[in-house]
Amino acid sequence: MRYRGRGFLLVFSVLIGSLLALAPVAWAGGKVIKVGIIDCYSGPPAVYAKDALNGFKLALKEINKKGVLGRKIVFTTRDTKFKVDIGLSMAKELIMREKVDLLVGTISSSVALAVSDLARKEKVPFFVWMAKSERITGELGHRYVFCTGENTAMAGKAIAVGLSKKPYVKYWIAGDDYEYGHAIGRAAWRNLKKFKPEVKKVGESWWKVGEPDLIPYLTAIMSAKPDAVIFCTGGRSMTNVLKAIKATGMAKKVAICIHTATDHASLKPLGPEAPEGVMGTMDYHFYYPDTPENRAFVEAFRAAYGEPPGFPAFHGWNTAHFIAAAYRKAGEVDTEKFIDAIEGLKIMSPVGEIEMRACDHQVVEPMFLGVTKKSPKYNFLISSDIVTLPGPEIMPSCEEIMALRARAKK
Amino acid sequence: MSLDAASLCTQLLVGLSRSMILFIVSAGMSFILGVLRVPNVAHGSLYMIGAFSAFSIYTYFGMGSTGFWLALLLAPLVVALVGFVAERVLFCHLYEREHLMLLLFTFALMLILGDLVKMVWGPEYSSIMPPGGLKGSVSIFGSAFPKYNLFLLVVGPLVAVFLWLFTNRTKMGKICRAAAVDREMVGALGINVSWVFAAAFVLGCYLAGIGGALVAPTVSITLGMDHDIIIEAFLIVTIGGLGNIWGALVGSLIFGVTQAFGVLLWPQFAIVFPYAAVVTVLLLKPRGLLKSVW
Repeated sequence: MRYRGRGFLLVFSVLIGSLLALAPVAWAGGKVIKVGIIDCYSGPPAVYAKDALNGFKLALKEINKKGVLGRKIVFTTRDTKFKVDIGLSMAKELIMREKVDLLVGTISSSVALAVSDLARKEKVPFFVWMAKSERITGELGHRYVFCTGENTAMAGKAIAVGLSKKPYVKYWIAGDDYEYGHAIGRAAWRNLKKFKPEVKKVGESWWKVGEPDLIPYLTAIMSAKPDAVIFCTGGRSMTNVLKAIKATGMAKKVAICIHTATDHASLKPLGPEAPEGVMGTMDYHFYYPDTPENRAFVEAFRAAYGEPPGFPAFHGWNTAHFIAAAYRKAGEVDTEKFIDAIEGLKIMSPVGEIEMRACDHQVVEPMFLGVTKKSPKYNFLISSDIVTLPGPEIMPSCEEIMALRARAKK
Repeated sequence: MSLDAASLCTQLLVGLSRSMILFIVSAGMSFILGVLRVPNVAHGSLYMIGAFSAFSIYTYFGMGSTGFWLALLLAPLVVALVGFVAERVLFCHLYEREHLMLLLFTFALMLILGDLVKMVWGPEYSSIMPPGGLKGSVSIFGSAFPKYNLFLLVVGPLVAVFLWLFTNRTKMGKICRAAAVDREMVGALGINVSWVFAAAFVLGCYLAGIGGALVAPTVSITLGMDHDIIIEAFLIVTIGGLGNIWGALVGSLIFGVTQAFGVLLWPQFAIVFPYAAVVTVLLLKPRGLLKSVW
């Protein structure tokens, strides 16, 4: 590994060098608001990072036509390679050398938490647009960090709200053996127990991240005969889970609920062969809600990038609009005034009005609970029979968040 | 937890079907290790290339049953070709070096092949579907069992039989076995050892390709598949006895079945089971279960 590290350092320093050489040119001329974006642009997560960046760029095109306080918002990107140390040094470089006004990123929760800590010390606002750990705005939240996407607490609670209305009693929880999986599982179970005290957990199974063969796990779960299974998984494991569900015919025997199962990024590669009847929660679909705002966003995105926006693009678009609206409200480019302005700020997003909650800096947005179903319009499955769970209903309360933070301080 | 005979039986079958893929991949690795004495860390990358090529072939031929069968046939050949080029251009100059150098070299090759795959196929997840007759599941003792896994249970033994026929009944196979034991002697008999090595390497790669193509319908085809399989394959090769393909078979069966039962018996900690089995085997038989050719 030492050899790999050395070669890597060389490439890394060349990369940094070339970025430094290019950056000043990009920002020449006129006063601007500088946004530094750190995200993972290499490896499997690059798909999501690219989508988020496209959403952000699309919004900026529109925002910069008018300008913000007579300035343009400009950005530069840095690749974290999904690694905490690289993400942190990139963020430092952006703050120290590039003197960015704001930081935005990233898909990795551990990178987000590390950069959030830096943002607090340096007093630079940091917008997390994809990482889903509830600790970012929960127990480890502070004045300088914001989340513009849903987090594990909201996803878990949304699953619980949805399932508590169904007749299931015996549950099984299964998922990827890492923080994201366990966080969703914990939040879902905690809330489900609260909403419906008679539910029983018959078992849990956790597999290592990227486990290629999930069929033994599914057959073992089915032999325990639970009423419903909550899978806590995402990314490439999602496709594996959906394939294994299809192969074993599990969806016909047991109710299944998975956060982001209805994401078209997971369903599209499977084409018409994805399993039908899987419940999923999602904070954005390009085909739902069918409102003029969403249609306009999807059309503009398609025209610019040739494909429909995914949830990262939706988060990216919202992030840009939150930033612009907050500066306009603050009236000047000043970090503290910017934060005062953004607390409780409401903007119009493609899915309707969303709010940056003042107490914990977590976006309040609705969640869509649907069931996978074949559609005549697309050659892949979509979410159908969608129930909209309003934002406030699926958020942990401000008191709960404050209690968490007080406990974390001790 | 209901531990009736039916669920034990399904779980055993599921474990065995996973073992088949592990066997095909690790047999190739073990074969190369035995004949060429190269611990090929890039074997996982060849498996990944097999899966990605299967995806391309499947997509090219219209994503149907024909696409799948052609993919299963052609993808391993693509991998064999990649292996052939790698052997003739790179490996054949390195056989005389020490094992550490070879290990480093194949490690570098793994990183390079991983990036090549990203350049050719991109970072998106891909997926292929089993053909018409192998979709869905059948009921075995009242539990659902995927048809595709039944297919794997047929293919695995077939591959094993062909390997046995090759190594025991063909001249080439016998030479390979002889080269594994004493390569100087084989050279002294006037056989071109260099080409024997090339053939053995290509066969190993072909097996990795079959593994990749076979696994493709059950998982998402993505970067990082190489790392997932290579650790398991290495463990299997080690517990089976280095370079012994029948050891790879025994190792795969142990690995796949303990994993499947671990999941059934103690699902929270299922990950531990196959590795605990590996540790136990190595404590009892440090040189592997079957005779190592090293």
